[in-house]
Amino acid sequence: MRNVLVGPVSVVGRASMGLMATLGGATMLLGRILRALLPPRFDRDEAWRQLYAVGVKSSAIVMVTALFVGAIMVIQTAFYVQRTGATSLLGFGVGFTVFAEIGPILIGLMFSGRVGANNTAELGTMVVTEQVDALRALAIDPIGYLVVPRFIAMIVMMLMLMALGDVFAIIGAALTADTLVGVDPSVLIGDILDSHLLDEYLLGLGKAFCFGVSISVLSCWYGLGVRGGATGVGRAVNNSVVANAAAIFFIDFVMGWIFPVGL
Amino acid sequence: MSGAAIRCEGLGKRFDDTWVLRDVDLDVYRGEVLGLIGPGGHGKSVLLKCLAGLLSPDAGRVLVDGEDLARLGPLGLARVREQYGYVFQNYALFDFMSVRDNVAFPLRQQAHLPPAEIDARVAARLADVGLAHALDLLPRELSGGMKKRVGLARATVGDPAILLYDDPSAGLDPVTSSKIFQLIARMHRPAAATVVVSHDIDRMRSVCSRYVMLEHGHVVFDGPEAALADAPESVRAFFFGAAHKHLEGR
Repeated sequence: MRNVLVGPVSVVGRASMGLMATLGGATMLLGRILRALLPPRFDRDEAWRQLYAVGVKSSAIVMVTALFVGAIMVIQTAFYVQRTGATSLLGFGVGFTVFAEIGPILIGLMFSGRVGANNTAELGTMVVTEQVDALRALAIDPIGYLVVPRFIAMIVMMLMLMALGDVFAIIGAALTADTLVGVDPSVLIGDILDSHLLDEYLLGLGKAFCFGVSISVLSCWYGLGVRGGATGVGRAVNNSVVANAAAIFFIDFVMGWIFPVGL
Repeated sequence: MSGAAIRCEGLGKRFDDTWVLRDVDLDVYRGEVLGLIGPGGHGKSVLLKCLAGLLSPDAGRVLVDGEDLARLGPLGLARVREQYGYVFQNYALFDFMSVRDNVAFPLRQQAHLPPAEIDARVAARLADVGLAHALDLLPRELSGGMKKRVGLARATVGDPAILLYDDPSAGLDPVTSSKIFQLIARMHRPAAATVVVSHDIDRMRSVCSRYVMLEHGHVVFDGPEAALADAPESVRAFFFGAAHKHLEGR
């Protein structure tokens, strides 16, 4: 009986310890980032490089994702709209889900998969090839030089990509509504504007900000914590992707709970 | 030779439950080139990283110009590290920067010199190491020997007071290894304290004035080559055996 219990308990214990270590380490890293921002002490050239790498290179995938998000929302609601003839609800339904829920989550997951995983791999490779040690040997703080520019770039670009994604999601929704449901794009967009979805839009941006913080901190924490060679980098990338996805859903839940909209 | 630039007192370092360095006492003086030798995996690179403050000791302390590295805050540690040049075993070149930017990096970050002067110093140092033609190449476009020379140029471009070389000839052919050691000799300044970790004892003999041998994390020999006659048999066997092996390899 005792042996039957010890196995699961030790598994749960180890998982809890791992979770606490991740949360504690990531929180301490966030503290060091904020300390480096007051007053701002970071490399501006590196910040520009990161803004380009994170934002410009991610815009295409975010636009494509957003187009499909809008299109899917129309497809999901088209059946009911056609049956009931309530075409005026199409704009509200699409706007609400795109701005507040599905848009931020899917764009956050795409951003995490593309930028967060890449960031963990890049920093992890820098650790195992001693480039991070080289920075420290040159009296340069790796947090200020490597992490802070990434932190700023990911937050700024997550917000901008979210705003861009909202626009493309509406374009995707308008094109699909016109093609499948026979609702003119101008009618759909007019419905969205008339639905007064500013709270939903701001909630979506708030979520994007929090996703940017969590993706940047967690991906940097896993990257800088790499031990071993290529295997260690692979393990860190895997852990980073899983942790970021979990964090996105958790943040979405908490923010939806604290800031209920559409009620 | 003036006072000790670096002093280790009872230095110990462990990873998990394994002690890699134990009770290491060591002085590195300005003006000398110290050769750190010993079998692979016996703590030489770990000791070098402790000397640079890249690893924190688990016992004892490392003093640089009398300052205990463990007691310095981040800014104090950064101030001390500005005196260092470090050549890494695996080059550690920043792979997203060109050769020019790699070598200019310490000057741009620390020295606050006018851009024209930085460019001139970078070009001159790369010419010193025979890479004047490689300014705009990326690290992935360089051979192993070229990467070592870029690493050496980056470490020495600021004329540091303390120079640490971690196995500078590792993985290089004999001709390139000889060139690297010639460069180490040429880059050495009388006021600088230099430590070279290597297995290439034959070539170390052309630059090192004193040797420290580590075995299982302990210092088993500390002195000039002339003192080897009084050293334990295992030290002499390692020293002359390794030198002989390199001579045969050439």
